[in-house]
Amino acid sequence: MELVPGGAVPPAVVRELRRDLALCLDRRVAIADEVLALDDAFSPERQQYRADMILAALLEGLDGGDERRRMAVVAEDLFLPVFTHIFSSAQFRGLAAVVSTHRLTPTWLDQPADPRVLRLRLLKEALHELGHTLGLVHCKVPWCVMSPSLDPDHVDLKDPAFCAPCAEAGGIPRDRTFLFL
Amino acid sequence: MSGRMPRLLIVDDERHVRESLSHWFTEDGYDTVTAGSGREALDLLGRRDVDVIVSDIKMPGMDGLELQHRVLEKNPHAAIILVTAYASVATAVQALKEGAYDYMVKPFDPEQLSQVVARAYEKVKLSTENETLRERLSAAEPPFVTGTSRAMAKVMELVDMVAPTDTSVLIRGESGTGKELIARLIHLRSQRAYGPVVAVNCGALSESLLESELFGHEKGAFTGASSRRTGKIELADGGTLFLDEVGEVTPKVQVELLRALEERTITRVGGNQEIPVNFRLVTATNRDLEAAIRDGSFRDDLFFRINVFTITIPPLRERREDILPIAEHFLRRFGAAMGRPIRGFSAEARDLILDYEWPGNVRELANAVERALVVCRGEEVGAEHLPIAAHAHAADPGLAGDYSIAALEAQHIEKVLRVHDYNVTQAAKALGIDRVTLYNKMRKYGIERP
Repeated sequence: MELVPGGAVPPAVVRELRRDLALCLDRRVAIADEVLALDDAFSPERQQYRADMILAALLEGLDGGDERRRMAVVAEDLFLPVFTHIFSSAQFRGLAAVVSTHRLTPTWLDQPADPRVLRLRLLKEALHELGHTLGLVHCKVPWCVMSPSLDPDHVDLKDPAFCAPCAEAGGIPRDRTFLFL
Repeated sequence: MSGRMPRLLIVDDERHVRESLSHWFTEDGYDTVTAGSGREALDLLGRRDVDVIVSDIKMPGMDGLELQHRVLEKNPHAAIILVTAYASVATAVQALKEGAYDYMVKPFDPEQLSQVVARAYEKVKLSTENETLRERLSAAEPPFVTGTSRAMAKVMELVDMVAPTDTSVLIRGESGTGKELIARLIHLRSQRAYGPVVAVNCGALSESLLESELFGHEKGAFTGASSRRTGKIELADGGTLFLDEVGEVTPKVQVELLRALEERTITRVGGNQEIPVNFRLVTATNRDLEAAIRDGSFRDDLFFRINVFTITIPPLRERREDILPIAEHFLRRFGAAMGRPIRGFSAEARDLILDYEWPGNVRELANAVERALVVCRGEEVGAEHLPIAAHAHAADPGLAGDYSIAALEAQHIEKVLRVHDYNVTQAAKALGIDRVTLYNKMRKYGIERP
C-alpha cells in the first residue's frame, strides 16, 4: 500500500498515518515520492476538489498489472458532483482511495485544536476507505470502522478496528488495531 | 425481502451523477443499478425489481415526473425520490402530490441523502411485509368453522364486503352463534389486520370496572387504583375494538363511549388529558336494542353510531344443513387434539344431532362433541355418548335459545292470554296482576291480540 501526499497536506500528517496504518495492518506502507497535483480536480464554481478525478489521477500513476493500493492524503475539501462534500472516497473493490483532513480537523468544527484527534480520525477514515477497496460495504456494528460516518462526531464514535465479520471478509488482521483503543 | 441487499435504481442523464450515486450507495450496501433515461429505467424495471428509485426530474425525453407516474401505476408501493438541480417549490409540491416519497435538491448533503434513501427503503420493506401479511391472513382458513349453508354464505359475503372498510359493525345473533369469531374475521380481513384486536365483554363487568377497563385509569383515581392502567380502547390503537354484549353497557358508560367514537379521544378515569385514539369498532349483542331504545335503557345516538352495518348470524336451527358438517369439524379437531383416531358419528348419533334444536348454537354443539369424545372409548361416536341424548326431544323450541326470565314471562303471558281467548281482564286476573300492567307487558313483549 502506498500513501500519496496531495495538495497542501503537511508531510508530518502523512508520516503519522503511514506509521499508524502499518501498525494496524501489520504490513509495509510506503509514501510516494511525488506530491499529487490537484489542480485538474479543482472546481472554481464550488471552490472544492472532485474526489473522482483525484482517484482517476491516482490510477494513472499505476503501471499495468500493478496491484498496489494507492491512497491520496489531502488537506483540501472534497466533493462529488451530486454531493455538497465528502470526507473521503475509494474505488469499490479497486486500487485507489483518497482521504482529506479538511473536515476532520477539529478547528474546522470549532472544536479545540488537538493533533491527536485529527490523527485518530484520519486513521479511521483511511482504514474505512481501505475496507471499501477490499470490497467491504458499510457495517451496522456501531464501533466497527466500516460503519458509515457522515460527520466527524460519527468518526469519533467508531474504533480504528474492524469487527470480526468485516475483518474476515476483507482478510485484515484484527488484533493489532486494538493497540489504539 | 429480508436477507438480501436493498435494491436501488438511479436514473439520471448525467453519467457522473449516476456514477457518484452508484458508488456512494454501493459502499452503503445497496445493490445499485443505473439508467440514463426514463425509457431505459422502465425497460430495466420490466426485467428486475427494485426497492427505491432515485431519479432526476429534468431529463431529455421522459422526465422524472412521467417516470414516477408510470412506475406508480404498476407498483403503488414503490418509493421514488425525485432530485433536481433547481429548487422550485411548485415542482416539489407537484412531485410529492403525485406520490414521490421525497424530493431533494442537488448537490445533496450526503448524510441527508443516505437517511432519505434508508427511510424510503424501510417504508417499502414495511409495505411489502404488510402486503405479505395481509395476503397470508386473507388466504388463511378462518380459525373456526362457519358452515356452508346459504344463510352463512350470505354472512360471509357481508363480512367480505365490510371488512376492508373502516365502518362500525354490529353483529347480532343468539348466544353461541359465534359473534366474536365473526368479529375477529372482520379484523383479520381488514386493513387493520396487522394491528391489535382487543375484545371486551361488557356484560361481565360492573359499571365502574367496565369504565376503567375501556378507558383506563390514572393512579389514585379510585380506591385500589394503585397504578396507572391503560384502557382497552387505547390498547386497540391502530386495530379493532370488539365490544361483546354491548346492550349491557350502562347509560353512563354509553355517554363516554359515544364521546370516544365522535371525538376520537378518550380521557382516563381520574385523568384530565385527552388521548387521541384510532380504532375500528365492532360490537355484538343478542339483545333487542331497538326495544332497549324504546324503554330508554339504550341511547339512540350510540345505537346509530354502532349500527352503521349489521350482520345477523342465524341460529343453527335455521340452517340445519350446517349442523352435521360443523359437528364433524369439531370431531376432527378435538379428536386430533386428544390424539384419538375417531372415524365419525354413528347413524343414530347423526340423527340425534340433526333432530336436536341446539338452543346454545355452535358453542353447545362444540361442547357436546368434546364431551362425547371424552366418554367414547371406541372409534365411532354413538348416540349414547352425546350429552343431548336424554333431553333431545324435551327441548322447548319456543324458547328459541333465549333463557332469560323476560322470555319466560313473555311466553307465559302469551299462553295465559291464549287460554282466556285474549280476554285481558281474565288473563290479568289469572296472572295475578292488574290490567294496566298486563297491557304494558304485552306492549313490552310485542304480544298482540290475533
